[in-house]
This record gives sequence, C-alpha cells and structure tokens, in this order.
Amino acid sequence: MTDTRPAIAPNPPQRAIRLHRELDRVWTDLPGWRGFLTSVNHGTLGLRFMATAIVFFGIGGVLAMLIRAQLATRDGAFLDTALYNQIFTMHGSIMMFLFAIPMLEGLGLWLLPKILGARDMAFPRLSALGYWCYLFGGIIILLSLLAGVAPDGGWFMYVPLSGKTHTPGISADVWLLGVTFVEISAIAAAVEITVSILRCRAAGMRLAAMPLMGWYMLGTAAMMLVGFPPLILGSILLELERAAGWPFFDILRGGDPLLWQHLFWLFGHPEVYIIFLPAAGVLSTIIPVFARVPILGYGAIVAAILGLVFLSFGLWVHHMFTVGIPHMALAFFSAASALVAVPTAVQIFAWIGTMWAGRVTMRLPMLHVAGFFLTFVMGGLTGVMLAMVPFNWQAHDTAFVTAHLHYVLVGGFVFPMLAAITYWMPMICGRFRVRALGEAAFLLILVGFHGTFFLMHLTGLLGMPRRIDVYPDNPEWEWLNLISSIGGMVMSAGFALFALDIAMQWLFGRRSRRNPWRAPTLDWAMALPAPSYNVASLPGPGRDTADALLPLARGEGLLPGAPRGRRETLVVDPGSGRPDHVAVLPGNTALPIVTAATIGSLVLLMLAGLYPLAPLAILAILWAAWRWGRIMGTADEAAPIPVAPGLSLPEHYQCRNTLAFSGAVALLVADGTLYASLLFGVAFLTVIAPNWPAPDSGLSMLDLWLAGGALLAMAGGSLAARLAESRRTRPLGGQAALAGILAAILGLALLAGLALQLDDPTRHARNALRGVLLGHAAVHGVIALMMGLRSLADIRAGRVSRTRRGAAPVWRLFGDFWLATSAVSVAVVVLQEVLA
Amino acid sequence: MTWVARMLAGPGLWAVLFCAVYGLHGLGCAWDWPARQTPLGPLHPLGMIALWLAGLAVHGALIVLNGPGGEGTQAGLIRAGNWIGAVASAVTLFPVIAASTCG
Amino acid sequence: MLAGCDGAFSTLTPAGPAASGIALLWWVMLGGAGLITILVLSLAWIALRSGPRATVERPWTIWGGLAFPLAVLAMLVGFALWIGERMIARDDGAFAVQAEAYQWGWSFVQPGPDGPVRTEGVLYVPARQPFDIVLTSRDVIHSFWVPQLGGKMDAIPGRRNVHRLQADAPGRYEGLCAEFCGLGHAAMRFEVVVYDPSGPLPDLAPLPQGSASAGGTAP
Repeated sequence: MTDTRPAIAPNPPQRAIRLHRELDRVWTDLPGWRGFLTSVNHGTLGLRFMATAIVFFGIGGVLAMLIRAQLATRDGAFLDTALYNQIFTMHGSIMMFLFAIPMLEGLGLWLLPKILGARDMAFPRLSALGYWCYLFGGIIILLSLLAGVAPDGGWFMYVPLSGKTHTPGISADVWLLGVTFVEISAIAAAVEITVSILRCRAAGMRLAAMPLMGWYMLGTAAMMLVGFPPLILGSILLELERAAGWPFFDILRGGDPLLWQHLFWLFGHPEVYIIFLPAAGVLSTIIPVFARVPILGYGAIVAAILGLVFLSFGLWVHHMFTVGIPHMALAFFSAASALVAVPTAVQIFAWIGTMWAGRVTMRLPMLHVAGFFLTFVMGGLTGVMLAMVPFNWQAHDTAFVTAHLHYVLVGGFVFPMLAAITYWMPMICGRFRVRALGEAAFLLILVGFHGTFFLMHLTGLLGMPRRIDVYPDNPEWEWLNLISSIGGMVMSAGFALFALDIAMQWLFGRRSRRNPWRAPTLDWAMALPAPSYNVASLPGPGRDTADALLPLARGEGLLPGAPRGRRETLVVDPGSGRPDHVAVLPGNTALPIVTAATIGSLVLLMLAGLYPLAPLAILAILWAAWRWGRIMGTADEAAPIPVAPGLSLPEHYQCRNTLAFSGAVALLVADGTLYASLLFGVAFLTVIAPNWPAPDSGLSMLDLWLAGGALLAMAGGSLAARLAESRRTRPLGGQAALAGILAAILGLALLAGLALQLDDPTRHARNALRGVLLGHAAVHGVIALMMGLRSLADIRAGRVSRTRRGAAPVWRLFGDFWLATSAVSVAVVVLQEVLA
Repeated sequence: MTWVARMLAGPGLWAVLFCAVYGLHGLGCAWDWPARQTPLGPLHPLGMIALWLAGLAVHGALIVLNGPGGEGTQAGLIRAGNWIGAVASAVTLFPVIAASTCG
Repeated sequence: MLAGCDGAFSTLTPAGPAASGIALLWWVMLGGAGLITILVLSLAWIALRSGPRATVERPWTIWGGLAFPLAVLAMLVGFALWIGERMIARDDGAFAVQAEAYQWGWSFVQPGPDGPVRTEGVLYVPARQPFDIVLTSRDVIHSFWVPQLGGKMDAIPGRRNVHRLQADAPGRYEGLCAEFCGLGHAAMRFEVVVYDPSGPLPDLAPLPQGSASAGGTAP
C-alpha cells in the first residue's frame, strides 16, 4: 500500500547523547522525595499507579484467602460474622475500585504516549491529581479496615441495608466518600486518555490506522466518562440521605431502593467492559507480535469495540432479574446481554485467526495469553447462561455467579495484565527476566485458579448462596468448598511467585537489548528503560514504527530536543493526525498533591461529621482550583515553533482548539451524564416509586419569577463570556468579563433565593431531588464565576491578547452548560407541578 | 472526523431507541396502560411495537443513506456501525412482540 | 456423579415445573457450552502449536465471530424466553400466600381451615397446583428461594412482588434468603411444607425453632 500522507521532511541528525541530556534535564522528575511529591510525568505516574494497584491486589488477595479459610469447613470459626462481612465487602471493593480500575488507568497513562508517539499525556498535572486522589482515598478505605469500621454491606452497598437505620456507624460513609474520592482519578484518567488519544498521536497517524491499543483505550475512556457518573451520583445521593436525611431511597418518603440498584448497575455493568477492553487491547497488541504477523481483521476488531462500548450500557438490569421487574423488560436486557457476546466472539476468533496465520513462539507473555483463552472462554459462556432470565432466577446470588465473575475478571483482566507486565517489563526496567520462575508462577496461578473456581459453579447449583460465613446444615457443600480453598492457596502461591519473578528481573535480570520481542509498534522505538521524554524527536509519516528507533533518537523526527527548555509535545487533528500546534506542558509541581489534600480534607471532615468545618475545606479546594487555572494564560508572545524543515507551528496559547478545550468538552460529557442520571432519578421516582404524588410543594409564582430571573442572569453571563472572548483585550474584554462575573453572582443569588423557598427536603423525595437540582446549578454557577474571575485577572495582567484567548473559550463552555442544565431543571420542576 | 459521527449514528440510534422503548414500557406499566384498548388491541404493546418498527425503519434508512461505497477502514467502519445499530435494535427489542408486558 | 447433585438446596434435583424447566435449560446450555469450549480451545491449540498457515479474515470474524454466535444465541434467547413466559405469575386467581421477610426470618400467612393463619419460618402450600407468594419486607431487601421448586424473587420493603411456584408432590422443601441482608443472613432459612390437597389440611402450627433446617431432601 502506498503512503498517501503528506511527507514531512526529516530534521538534520544530531548526536543522540546530547539530545538525551537536553531532554532529560527538562523532563525528568526532581531528585529524591521532592520528585515523589511533584512528578507529573506520565511514565512515573503510570508505573506508580500500577505498582500501587498491585499492592492493593495483594491486600485484596489476602482478604480472599481469609474468606477461603473461613469457608473451608462448614462451621468455620475463623472469623466472626461481622468481620467476615467487612472482609468480603472490602475484597470486592478493593479489587474493583483500588486494583482493576487504577491498574488499567496506570497502563493507559504509562503506555499510550509511548505507543502513539507522544512525549506525555495531554494533562500531566491531572495524571498526578488522579494518582493522589486514588492513593489518599485508598488509604482512607484501608484504614477503616484496620480500625474495624470497614464497609460491610457488600461491594454493591444495597439500600436499605446500607442506609442509616441498618448501618448506623461510619462504615458505609467510608465506602461512599472513599470510593467517590477514588473515582476522581477515574474521571481524570478518562478525560485525559480520551484527549490524548484523539490529539496527542504521532504526526500523520490517522485515527483509522492507529494501533489497536489506541482504539481499545479510547473505547474504555469514553465508557468511563459515561459509566462512572451514575455511580458518583448514586453515592452523592446516598451520602446525602445518610448525612442529611434527604430521602432518595426511603420508601416511606417517596424514595425507592431500586433507584440505587439502577444507578449502581448503570455503572456496574459497563464497568466489567471498562476492565475488559484494555485487557483485550493488550491481547490485540501482544498476539500479533508473538505470531509474527499483523493482526487479522483490524476493522472487525474496531467494529467489535464500537459494539461493546454501546451494548454494554444496555445490560445493567441483568443484575436485577429478581427484583420483580416485568418479564418484557427483563427480556430486553436478556437479549442485549446475549448479544454482547457477539463482539467478544469476533475478537476471540480474530485472535485465534491471527495465531493461525502466524507461527507462535511461546514466550512467557504468550503463556498468560493461553491462560486467558483457557479461562475467559468459559467465563463468557457462563455469562451467556446467566443472561437467560429463568436460569438467572436460580443462579443469581449463588456461588455460580461468584465462579462466573472470577472466570471473567481473572480470565479477562488478570491474565492479560500478567501478560502485559511480562511483556513490557524490559521497557520498564531495561532488563530481561530470569528463566523458569515465571513459567512456574503461571502454572500455579492457572491450576490454582481453576481449582478454586471450576467446581464453585457446582457449589452454586447445589444452592450455596453468596456472602454466607457458615453452613452448618449443608455437608454437601463442604468438600466443594474445601477444594476451592485449597485451590485458592495454590493460586496465592502462584501470585507470590510471580511477584518474586518480577522482583528478580528488576534486580538481577541481564540488560535487555532494544526491542527484545522485535515488535512493530512505536512503544519499542526508544531506549530501554524508557527515558523520561520517551523519544528525542517525535515520529511522523515514514517514521512511525519501532524501526524508526535510531532516526528518532538522532532527532530526525519532529520537534527534536528541548531547545526552549520546556516540555513540548505535538498536538494533531483528531481524525487525520495532521500536525496542528505545539502544546507546552507543565513541569514538576506540588499543586496536584496539594489539591488532592484539600479534597481529602473535605472527605475527612465529612467522615468525622464535622459539617460546619466543611466550608473551610471547600474554600481550600477553590483556592487550589484558582492556582490550577494560572496555566491558561501567558504574557509571552512566542513566534511559531520550528517542528520540521518547512513546518512551523504555533504554541497552544495562540490556538482556540487546545488540549484544555478538548478536555473541557470531555469533562462536560461526564458532567452531562451525571446530570442525565439525575434526571433519570427524578423520572424514576416520580413514575415508579410508591408514596407519590408528594404533598403540596407550596411553590408559587414568585419561585417561577426567581427561576426565570436566574436563567436570564445565566444567559447574560454566557453572552458576556462570548464578548470577553471576542473582544479579549482591555478595556472592552475586561468590561465584558466583569459583566459576566456580575451576572454569575446575580444568578447564584437568585438560586439562593430559590433555595430559601424550597420545601423541606427531608419531607419527601421530590423536595430532596429539587434540592439536588438546585445544588447542581449552584456548583456550576461557582465554576462559571471562577472562570469569569480567571478571565478578568488574565485580561488585567495582559496574559491574553489578540492572538491569545486564555480561559474565555472554556468559560463559555461551562457558562452554556450552566444555562442549559438549569433551564432543563426549571422545565422538569414545572412539568412535575403541572402533572401533580 | 465526520466519519466518526457517521460511524456512531447507528449505535447511537440503538441507544436512543432502547431507552425510549424501555421508558415507554415503564411508563405504561406504572400508569396501567395495558388496560386501555385501541381498535387494534391494547394500547401499551401497540405503542411499543410502533416505536420499535419506526426505529427499525430509521435504521434501514441509515443503512441506505449513510452507507458509503468503497473500500477502506473508514467506509467499512461506517457500514459496520449502521449494521451494529440495526441488529442491536432488532434483537434487543424483539421482546415487544414476544413477552408479557407487565407480568 | 448424580449423587453429587443431591442436597436439599440442589437446583439439579427439581421438584416442580419451574425448577424442572430451568434444570432442562441448564443441561442444554451446559452441553452447548461444553461443545463450544472444546471447539474454541481446540482451534486455539492448533493455532498455537503449528503454522504459519495461509488464511483470510472472513471465516474467522464473519463466520466464527458473527454468524455462529448470532445463530446460537438467537435460538437460546427464544428458548429461554419461552420457558420464562410459562413461569411468571398471572392474574388467574391461583392459590395465594403472603410472605414477609425481616432481619432475620420469614413470616408467612396462608389459608387455614378457619381463615388465614400466620406462621413463622414454615410455609404450607398444596401440591400439584400453582401458588403465588406475595412477597414483601419489613426492613431491608431479602430474597425468597426454594431451589428445588424454582427461581428466587426479592422481598423489597414497600413493594409487593408476586412469585409463582408449584410442587409436584407433597413433602418438605428447604428455602433460604439469597440476598445479603446483614449479620443473620446465613441462618435465614425456612421450610415449605407441601401437603396433599385431597387429604386433610395439616396442622398449621409453626414448627419449633431449629427443625426448619433439620430436614433432608424431599421424599
């Protein structure tokens, strides 16, 4: 096939070692502990994410062993019930929220810039913020276990069991606040993975021709943007109910416990595919390398990803087949759950076909790929069984489901991750592994896994429910459980051996040569271990495979070195990969950890019940956010930056469609989904919940006037933001920004007036929902106000100009979003009042 | 980038149709529509079937109008998107003609 | 082998039409899944062991990935939908009992010789005729499950879920709470006593505590 992309002339070659020194000085972390606190480099943070996730995997594994020890005999007296409930809740929560999701985020952060040909992710500070939120949230959750007040309501925290009446202590609050704190990292990762894949690829790398890993992670990130907000909303609502008595799930006051289940599984099922897609990306990357042929069916696999991304949002009710939903609705979700097996089958057959076409060398990563096949195929098939409504009625909440989900998650995530770790270890540590240990670890894990979970299907069919700690009257389950427990110990030994193997490789492995697997992808077009800046010059047409290693190191690619002493990477057009501008990325800074600490202080204050002090923490968060926005303007009027002979590009300050703008759009997708989930909650409770209609709300025409006035103020703010962008410079731009700020303050004041008019939110779910709608509007008003202030400050300080727009484009986005969602909220309340 | 939007049209229509039919089902059961009769039969299943068929018709129109000729990954992905949406709508919503409405 | 499938909670020794239908569905699916597993793993094994072989994409992604599962799944979904339709409760005036779940036990109300009788932990129903359990809960979500008779149904505070079952023959059947409900979850068992409707009504006095879990399999 001929390359039709416009050629980009090579830069003159330089001495590779000089480029390396120049770049490393700019991109490397600070020395010592300061580097630990201030690093924003994707390589450092990606590895740190993965290492932390693996530590949590070990902790979750130890908890699993405690569960297996308890269940090995029917009268297990090893743990008491209260502790057992904490342990299985924590096992599930840790594995899902503190291992699987951060692991894939870490893999994405670490790998994507390398495999797509960039120097860093789009938002380095956001990577760091996500990491600190994850670490702090994870530590809070862990400490609760040590203090004996860990969550104990099951990892899906069903209400009313997790409500204040039945779980009075802080254990459920730890889960709700801690997990939500951790989910900040998921949203952060989703935003920056989306933007990085779309805009930080090698010059000329078309979207439709990027490595499959890019497609998989793009699908994952898009799903995270849409999948996590329902959980975040559910957690906020439940925490509001627990802390303030607002009844969203209390049936007597117009709530409904099923709303929690819908919100939880709206997240929970896509979550499975969020976990699976990156793992499948690893398989699609590794299998062709060891088969020594290109992947079979690139287009079919992308189509399969597309199908999975959408279909996986149509399955959530299959976790709720026994709650009493009519058969027709169950049948929709049953059919969707069966259909989702098709795109999975397309990928499995594409992988087998790839191996068929090539000649596979069975190196250690391929053993783990074989482990994937041996495990995941069965997990997928039991998944289809569980999608069948009548069978689900029997198997639901039994050990059969426990077995199924472990086949899917260990087969579909853990084995591919083990393959990924063994495959990329040479790039991480620059060393090759010690022989034989890894094979033994693989065998122990495989045998131990099937020993644990294969017969557990039968245990479930014999009627053993999930989450019981003793079964004194059921000797028929005992031998099965004993076998599972022995298998679990074997599997643990395997994982320990795997960890030992990795440590041995890190410490004692011989130096690896470059590109040891002879892989074609760009991630191997660099020295080992991977340098802080990835590549000395960026790949482009004709230099976009691992073969370009030497030319890139000599600076023949785009944007060679760091002659301006700044962290620079190329931003491209999302579809074609045409170079668009040069992004100047932030360097080492403590701002992310400080920001995470301010958010953590809010979480801790709420956990401690010190609500009067919460405003202080909120002020601290706003202060950090203000500092965060300083990067949006500059007083420096830079000339176009030479990227390659005959190609000079502007700095991002001089462009409108920047990474920050794309990131704001991605964030608003998540924000919009959160709002849509809230509307779903309003509709669900209004239509489905018993104990409606609500008592008279006491709303009057005054409220309509207040709401109308607030909407007018928001519209005025949006208009002012437009003017502030189009006029930009002083004095006209400054006056427009000031007008926008005043409009935002007026809007917020009118919202406060509405809040005073609101009927008691603890009386009925309708009032509580209106309180949340108002709160949503107020939060976005504050955001719009902050952005207006940022624009005004930048205009006054000369940090925007005719060519530099500063924060105004993003201000417009958030202002419009504030206006649009508030208008919908007003319409919803009016509709409720009219229908009542 | 317009090809990405064209690729997303089919699955996007499925998502909208799936929500609409599921929402109509929930509303109907909550407001006791199965008891309401029309000359053609009970209102509730008829409404859902009509919505489903209308959606399938739009899927058909997408396949005809949004299907680019030619080879290449992008054209193939647009066609795949059209068909993924159509098959998903046909399969996941066929219970409107086969299952008990609110039982 | 079959002895391994026994037990008072075994879904594989059905004692009613719903459980029998589901057990049939299970054995059919097990057979199909076993064949598919062998097929896929054999292909993967052959692909791993030797090669290279000339091959094209179409048979793998279109036939193997798309057509084959679509055909199998269409049949399976249709079959399961048909089985499910036969199981759901209908408004046909069937024998009805009420069950209220609480932390941690079951309270049943069923027709007795002199009108409704409330019992704790034991439910009395006639054999060979469908009966509906009207389920609700006093506190948190529980789930009513008698594996030998059929699938489970949640008991949710503020809602009335109707669950239809039928027993083929008189006997005693074991039931349990399947939804995690707190500290007493593991011990939240109950018993269903199925009597012969042609004979005299059994004495509906609640059995003493402890005997509910002592029974064996159905006679």
